[in-house]
Amino acid sequence: MKNDREFSPQHLAYLRGVRNKSILVNVARISILFVFLLLWELSARQAWVNPFITSSPSRICKAIADLHRNGTLFHHVGTTLKETLIGFAIAVGLGYSVALALWWSEALRRILEPYLVVLNALPKIALGPLIIIWCGTGSEAIVFMTVLIGLIVAIMNMLSGFMATDENKLLLLKSMGASKLQILTKLVIPSSLPNFISMLKINVGMAWIGSIMGEYIVSKAGIGYLIVYGGQVFKLDLVMSAVFILCMLAAIMYAFVALLERLVIKNR
Amino acid sequence: MKEVLRFDNVSMRYHSKQGETVALENVNFSVAEGEFVAIIGPSGCGKTTVLSLAAGLLTPTQGRVVSDGSSFGYMLQKDELFPWRTIEKNIFLPLEIKRTNTPEQRARAISLAEKYGLKQFLKNYPSSLSGGMRQRAALIRTLAVNPDVLLLDEPFSALDYQTRLSVCDDVYKIIRNEKKTALLITHDISEAISVADKIFVLSKRPASVVAEHVLTFPESEPLKRRENVEFSRWFEILWKELNA
Repeated sequence: MKNDREFSPQHLAYLRGVRNKSILVNVARISILFVFLLLWELSARQAWVNPFITSSPSRICKAIADLHRNGTLFHHVGTTLKETLIGFAIAVGLGYSVALALWWSEALRRILEPYLVVLNALPKIALGPLIIIWCGTGSEAIVFMTVLIGLIVAIMNMLSGFMATDENKLLLLKSMGASKLQILTKLVIPSSLPNFISMLKINVGMAWIGSIMGEYIVSKAGIGYLIVYGGQVFKLDLVMSAVFILCMLAAIMYAFVALLERLVIKNR
Repeated sequence: MKEVLRFDNVSMRYHSKQGETVALENVNFSVAEGEFVAIIGPSGCGKTTVLSLAAGLLTPTQGRVVSDGSSFGYMLQKDELFPWRTIEKNIFLPLEIKRTNTPEQRARAISLAEKYGLKQFLKNYPSSLSGGMRQRAALIRTLAVNPDVLLLDEPFSALDYQTRLSVCDDVYKIIRNEKKTALLITHDISEAISVADKIFVLSKRPASVVAEHVLTFPESEPLKRRENVEFSRWFEILWKELNA
């Protein structure tokens, strides 16, 4: 970093402006959350709204503490987290491989295109009853649902990344006499890395949709189970707590992907 | 002089659902060892097709492309350096493709890069280099596998005018210095005059060779040639032929 004295006053003013703006953004972000929580708590305490229906931050804290005390908090979180991560990994891995196969063979790509489009448009939850019959009522069903939801999106995202490979770079490699496998490993895979990262980001969301939806349909434990159960017995504190935990977990998983992005895409 | 490449009545047609395009019609020319040959033609006349045929990426519909077994190196309009590789790794790329990525070959490529002023950039990524330096790195990458003939597809057209002149000068000197045969494709008449020993003029599509000129300049360097009185005379001749 340069010393302050080396800059002109105008530049220093500019830097100050940039810094102030970013401080403002951060302060505004935190205040919104703070004010929201405060108003929520206040309106519940003052009975402006019915806390039985809206719950409140303090009641959510208490519900989470209760879950922790009776020892089921980590059981539920762990169940959903495991299902989500396994489903996510399978969807990403399988999706990447299928996309590779489709890139490799133009015939295959053209033949399978309408199937992909239809499967992509199909609301996977419609397959709920089938999944229960095929996979039973255990975690397998939920993982299966997660894979179903993420897979097609993963394939389509990666395929469009592979197909967007620069024509001139392809020509360059061909002029060097590169084989298709070399083109794939030297050019197509590295140049589609940004697509891979954005595919991961999209699939973080998809995996949570899949696992929670799966738990709605069939489950004995998990965050989705807590939400459904809480709704059925009208314990909305429990529902809100589960949603809050879900927010946290999704944010953490997204942060991991964002970190990965920072590590991989330094030089572009 | 030994002939390294010859086009014998080469015709090329492209097929698509919309119809058939005749890109080349009976193209004849040859390139001798050590020559710097330029092919000029109006834009869209199928110049790039000529290079793709020469490089063996396409097979002619009719006629023959004869080469004496020389190896070819292709240089494109843009440098096409891979942004995720350092300059050094970019230069090694053809070695990896040709599976000759041995320490000796790498050392050869590195010494070539150092000889032509890329030493300090070897560990840098392409994004940190100027357009001219990037094009130079692209040339060194092409030279890394020691090809006999360089195929240059408008290699300067993506650069701004100032840079183009100096990079052209630069590339010319390196090619001469390394005693390579070169086949340059361009629509830029002055560029062709400033570097070539021999110029072939292509007609509009379907392209065929309408003229052949042997250029003799007392000076060989592109920038010096541009100052010569002969330069504008050649320019006029070629201009008329191109627009005939």
